[in-house]
Amino acid sequence: MRKFVDLHLCPSVQDLDQATRMITKCSELGYGVVGIPLPPNVGQEKFRQLQDICNSVKLDFVTRVDLFPKTPSELLYDLRRLRRKFEVISVACASKPVARQAAKDRRVDLLSFSATDLRRRFFDYAEAELSSKALSSLEIDVAPLLSLTGVARIRLLSRLRKELAITKRFNMPVTVSSGATNEYLMRSPHDYAALTALFDMPLSSALPCLSENPFGIVKRNREKLSPNYVAPGVRVVRRKTLVSSRKKTIP
Amino acid sequence: MDAVWDAVLQLFGEYGASQANLTLIQYDPQKGYAVVRCSNKALEMVRASIASITKIDEKPVAIHVLRVSGTLKSLRRGGSAKTG
Repeated sequence: MRKFVDLHLCPSVQDLDQATRMITKCSELGYGVVGIPLPPNVGQEKFRQLQDICNSVKLDFVTRVDLFPKTPSELLYDLRRLRRKFEVISVACASKPVARQAAKDRRVDLLSFSATDLRRRFFDYAEAELSSKALSSLEIDVAPLLSLTGVARIRLLSRLRKELAITKRFNMPVTVSSGATNEYLMRSPHDYAALTALFDMPLSSALPCLSENPFGIVKRNREKLSPNYVAPGVRVVRRKTLVSSRKKTIP
Repeated sequence: MDAVWDAVLQLFGEYGASQANLTLIQYDPQKGYAVVRCSNKALEMVRASIASITKIDEKPVAIHVLRVSGTLKSLRRGGSAKTG
């Protein structure tokens, strides 16, 4: 059975009641894995609280951080600092140099662009080519599609349609997430798949964008973060342990 | 039902709405569920329209599709509280 993933559920981390309600709703809607963006300096206590809430409703909790760098060097600094702390790293590309740096860096998992300011969506052929080589994925949040109306929604749909055509050309993976900040913006995976048809994404491609693609990112990063990981294809199978009896025999 | 019609009209226009063949079969305001019939070919369109509803009379709402079935008999057999 398919495991659905919502990598961008955005409850207020400070408001645990709201977080509990949203996580419970997420489980009821049929998701198996949920990613919640955390502040970079999040404490262990907050992390454990969220993990406990997710465990109580049998959801797999994924730690995620959203970076908002202003310059490429700021992005590199943040990546160096945070890559080993979080399972998923998303970069909000607010400028073209940042978008290009994020696309070619293999430590970036998700590229996200502004849904309201379409002039700041710097996703083009060059960006797609770079990110397809670096295995990063384009993140599409559905919440803005629900909250926007009229011309703003029409323009966003048109833009998403173009971006999707670009990703197809370069075989770049796409991840569809909720981006929900409250319960009213949360929908089931099949509803999201139906909504993606608005920007010409067929159902057969939409379902992997809600399950296999995001789960692949989580799986890959968990493996990399495990203490047994050495390099791609190389992992520790067994560690040598000192035997105390042998020590005694040494004169 | 007006909200569903409005959503279909807003997203797909009158041409799309004419293909949907939307009919309200049953509505239970206390339990908060409804049974809606639509054309099989327009299922994804209706689903997207229902998912796009965020407000009814300026009150925030979320409508979820609980079950889809080809016949009313199997829809009702599928689950008591969750039928919809």
